[in-house]
Amino acid sequence: MRRLRRFFQRLFSPLTRHRAEERLREEIEGHIELQTLDNIRAGLSAEEARRQAVIKFGGAESTKEEFRERRGLPALESLVQETRYALRALRWAPMFTAATVLTLALGIGATTSIFTLVHAVLLKTLPVRNPAELYRVGRETHCCFVNGYSQQGGFSLVSYALYQHLRDYNHGFVDLAAVPSVQSTLGVRRAGSADSAEALPGEFVSGNYFRMFGVDAQAGRALTPEDDRPGAPPVAVMSYRLWREKYGADASVVGSVFHLNEKPFTVVGIAPPGFFGDTLRDTPTDLFLPLNTEPFVEADADLNKYDVHWLALIGRMSPGVSPSLAEAKMRVLLKQWLGSHRGEMSASDRESLPRQTLYLSGGGAGITSMRERYESWLRILMAIAGFVLLIVCANVAHLMLVRGLERRRHTSLCAALGARPWRLVRQPLIESVLLSLMGGVAGLAVAFASTRAILHFAFPPSSGLGAVPIDPSPDLPVLLFAFLVALATGIGFGIAPAWMAARVDPIEALRGAGRTTSRAGSAPRKALVVLQTALSLALLSAAGLLTNVLQNLEQRPLGFQTEHRLVAKINPRLAGYRPQQLPALYARLHDAIASVPGVESAALSLYSPPGGGWGSGVAIDGPSNAASAPQQNVALWDRVGAGYFDAVGTRVTRGRGISEEDSATSRHVAVVSEAFARRFFGADDPVGRHFGRAPDHPRELEIVGVVEDASYFPSPLLGPALPAFFVPVAQADYTHTAGSLYLRDIVIRTRPGGASTALAAAIQQAAAGVDPNLPVPLIHPLHEQVAGQLTQQRLIARLTSLFAILSLILASIGLYGVTAYQVSRRTGEIGVRMALGAGRAHIVRLVVSGAFALVAGGLVIGLPLTFAAGRMLASQLYGLPSTNVMVTLTSVAVLGATAVAAAVIPALRASRVSPTEALRSE
Amino acid sequence: MKDKVDVLQGTLALMVLKTLEVLGPLHGYGIARRIEQISGGLLAVNQGTLYPVLLKLEQDGSISSEWGTSENKRRARYYRLTRTGRKQLGAETRGWEQTAAIIGRFFAVKAEDLP
Repeated sequence: MRRLRRFFQRLFSPLTRHRAEERLREEIEGHIELQTLDNIRAGLSAEEARRQAVIKFGGAESTKEEFRERRGLPALESLVQETRYALRALRWAPMFTAATVLTLALGIGATTSIFTLVHAVLLKTLPVRNPAELYRVGRETHCCFVNGYSQQGGFSLVSYALYQHLRDYNHGFVDLAAVPSVQSTLGVRRAGSADSAEALPGEFVSGNYFRMFGVDAQAGRALTPEDDRPGAPPVAVMSYRLWREKYGADASVVGSVFHLNEKPFTVVGIAPPGFFGDTLRDTPTDLFLPLNTEPFVEADADLNKYDVHWLALIGRMSPGVSPSLAEAKMRVLLKQWLGSHRGEMSASDRESLPRQTLYLSGGGAGITSMRERYESWLRILMAIAGFVLLIVCANVAHLMLVRGLERRRHTSLCAALGARPWRLVRQPLIESVLLSLMGGVAGLAVAFASTRAILHFAFPPSSGLGAVPIDPSPDLPVLLFAFLVALATGIGFGIAPAWMAARVDPIEALRGAGRTTSRAGSAPRKALVVLQTALSLALLSAAGLLTNVLQNLEQRPLGFQTEHRLVAKINPRLAGYRPQQLPALYARLHDAIASVPGVESAALSLYSPPGGGWGSGVAIDGPSNAASAPQQNVALWDRVGAGYFDAVGTRVTRGRGISEEDSATSRHVAVVSEAFARRFFGADDPVGRHFGRAPDHPRELEIVGVVEDASYFPSPLLGPALPAFFVPVAQADYTHTAGSLYLRDIVIRTRPGGASTALAAAIQQAAAGVDPNLPVPLIHPLHEQVAGQLTQQRLIARLTSLFAILSLILASIGLYGVTAYQVSRRTGEIGVRMALGAGRAHIVRLVVSGAFALVAGGLVIGLPLTFAAGRMLASQLYGLPSTNVMVTLTSVAVLGATAVAAAVIPALRASRVSPTEALRSE
Repeated sequence: MKDKVDVLQGTLALMVLKTLEVLGPLHGYGIARRIEQISGGLLAVNQGTLYPVLLKLEQDGSISSEWGTSENKRRARYYRLTRTGRKQLGAETRGWEQTAAIIGRFFAVKAEDLP
C-alpha cells in the first residue's frame, strides 16, 4: 500500500518538478543559514561560521541529485525523453519510416487475415456450451444418402431407426442428437401474409438437439424431445438472423404460424445470435424443425426407411466416460441392429456384415464438411502467408540493419564520450519498438479490411440468405503472434548494429568511419537479400502453378456448351405438387417454355451441370469389368427429359440420346457416359447391353447411347470424371414418392441474338401461365453456374498471385535498398576510380554485377525451394504437376527483370558522381 | 555498500519519526540538530542526507510538511508526524526493540555458557 502510494507520487512528480526544485533549494539555504547563526552564537566569525555550516551540510549537489532520484522515476522520465527523441528521428527519415511501417502493415495484416480464416474454418469450435465434450459418429463427414446396410470406412450416416437404437441403448452419451447431412430448402411464408413463399435453408433436428448443445432460445423456447414425437403439434425454431433481418426482431413472431412447404408450423422460439447450427456452411440454417415433422413437410420422407442412412450424429459425452469405451459400446449396438435386419439384407451386405463398424471423433467443431472441403486449399494459403511473413521479417531486418549501420559513427561518438553499452542499445531499441507498434496498428487495419474482402469474395452473399457465419474481425492471438514476430525481428536487427558498434574501440571506429571500402556488416544484409530472392522465387512459381491450374480448369472441355444456354430453377415441391401430378406439369412446362419466341429447345432435368447428381449402385448384366464388391460399382445418375443432350450441348458419341420415343410404357432405357462405358465395359460397345441399380435387377435398363463426360458435381474438380448414367423423366415411377421425382432445372437453349433479360421475363411469364402457384423460376445463364463453382479456387489462385506480387515488391525493395546503400557507401571509392579513368559503363557494370551476384545466389537457393513447394502443392491438389518448366522460367525471368530495375537506378546514380565532389564528400 | 546506506537511511527515518513524536512539528535543521545531539556523530558530517529521507517519509505519508516561520524569522518548511507515521513508528519501535534484544542476548552469550 505504502509502496503504491509512493509510486504514484513519483509517477506524477514531473508535473511539480519546478516547484519541488525551488522548495529544496530554499530548504537547503534555510538550513545552512540556521546552522550559520548557531555557529556565530558559538563564537565563530561570520565567514567561518558559514564555511563550517556548508561543510557540515555536505555535498549540496549530491543531496539534490539523490533528492531528485527519489522524487521521480528517472528511468521513466528518460524513457519518455528518448521516445520523444526517437519519434523526431523517425520524422527525419520519412522514407525509412514509411517503408518499414508499410512492410510491417502488409505482412502483419495479410498473415493475420489468412490465419483468421483458417482458424474459423479449421480450428474453431461451435459457439455452444463446453464443446470439448462433443463427439460425433464417423471419422469423415459424408453427404446425403447411403442405402443398404454397409458403409465403407465405418458408419457415418445412419437411418432414423438406427439412430433411435443408438440413442436409446448407448451408455456413453448424455444426449445423442441427429441431423440430416444436407439442409432442406423450405418454402417459407408467414400465415396471413400476401407475399409469395421464400426459399430458405431449414434443418430437421432431433428433439434433444438444443439440449445437447446446451443452447437456450433467445426468445420463446427451444425445441424439446416432446416436440419430436409422431403426432406432436408441428413447431419450429427460427434463426436469430432471419428473425431480425426479415421480421425486425418482432416479438409476435414467437407463437405465430408460418407455412413451411404449405404446412402450418408454430414458431415457438428464436435461436440465440451466433448459433449457426451443427455445421459451418455458407448458407446458415434459418429454421430448425423436429425430425418427426419430416414426413409432414417432405413429399419423399426418409424418416421411416430403415435402410436409408441420411442422419449425422453428434452427442455430448457423459463426464468421466472414455471415448474409446463409448466407441466400443456403440460398435456392439451397431452390430446388434444390423443383425436384427439380416433378413432384409442383400447378399453382399450380409457378406460384409462382419466388417461393419463405426468410429467416434471429436465433435467440438460440429460436422465439419466445410473443413474437409477447403482444408487443402487453406493449408496452401497458410504456407504462403507464412512465406510472406518470412519475407517481411527479412525486409524489416534489412531496413533496420542499414539504419543501424548508418548510425555507426554516431554510436561510436557516443561510446567515445562514455555512454554505457546499454545506453547505446536503448535508442535503436526504442525506435524498433515504436516502428513495430505503428506497423502493428496499421496491420490491424489491413487485417480488418482484407479479412472482410476475402470473406466477401470467397462466399459471395446471396440476398435474403444469411452470410457465412465467420467473424471477419481478426483473430487476436494470430495478430499478436504476427506482431511479436515482427517486433522481435525489428528489435533483433535494430540493436545488433549498435551492439556491435558499442564493442568496437571508439577511437578505431571514429578513425575508420566514412573512409573505408570495408565490407563490415554487409554480409548479413546480403544474406537477407539472397533469402528474400529465394523465397520470392518459390512464391512466384507457386502462384504461377496455381494460376495455371485454374486456367486449365476454366478451359478444360466441360462436356456441355455454355453459350446461348439458360437454366431456369423450379421447385414444384414448394407449390405442394403430389408425384402423380408431376408428369402432366412437366409436359406443360416444357411445351410452354419451348414455345417462347427466342427459345431453340428446352429440356427438364433433375440437375443441370455442374449442379449435382444422385449416387446409385450398378449391376451389369453379362460379362463386365465390374468389381466383385458391389460397393465399388457405383455411378452418378441424373433424370433428364427428351432432347436434354441437345439442349445442354453434350455430344452423343454412340447410339442415341433420350428422346420422345422413351415413354412410360416403352422399354426402360439409359444413356451412359464415356467414363461409365470405360469403367464397366472397357473397350466393348455398351449399346444394347443391360444394367440395373439393384443387384437383383441387372436387366432393369437397356443402354441406348453413350455421351461424352461432363463435369457433374460431386465429381472431383481436378480428378477424372466419375461414371454417370441418365434415365428419361417419362420412365420414372410416379406412384411412389421420391425426392428425385421433383425436377429442379430446366435447361434452355436460346437462339443467337435474343435479348437475355427480355427472354428471361418471357420464360418466367410462360411458367407462371402453367401454374401461378409455382414460385417464379430463377433464371440465369449456364456459364454463371459453372463459374460459381470455381469461386473458391479462383480466389485462392488470386490470393496466391497477390501474395507473390507482394513478395516480389518486398524483395525488390530489399534489393534496391542494398544496392543503393552500397553505392552511397562507396561514393568515395567510385570517385577515386573515376578520377583514375574508369568510365561510366564500368561503374554501372560494377554496381549491377554486385547486385546480380546476390540475385543469382537467391535463385540458386530458390530453385530447390521452388521444387519442394511444387511437390507440396502437388500433394495437396490432385492433378497439379509438381513442376512446370514454363512457370519456373517465367518466375526466374520476372525476378531477374525486377532485380535489374532495382539495381540499375542506383548504378546510374553512381555513374553520375563527379569525382571531385565524391572525394570532397568525406 | 548500498545495503549499508539503506540500513543507515532506515535508522535515520526511525530517528526522524521519533524526533517528531517527541518534539512536535520541526524544520529540517531542527531535526538534524536533535539527531546529532542524541546520536553523537551520525549526522556530524553529512546533514544533507536527511532531506531525501524526509522526502521518502512524506511520499509514504508518514509525515506531512508545510511552510512556517523559523526562529530567525525566515520561511522554513515544518514537518509533522501524521497518523500513519505514528502507527509506523509504533510498529518499527517494537520491531527494533525486538531485534536489539535478540542481538543483545546473542552478544551476551559466551562460549562457556553453551551446553
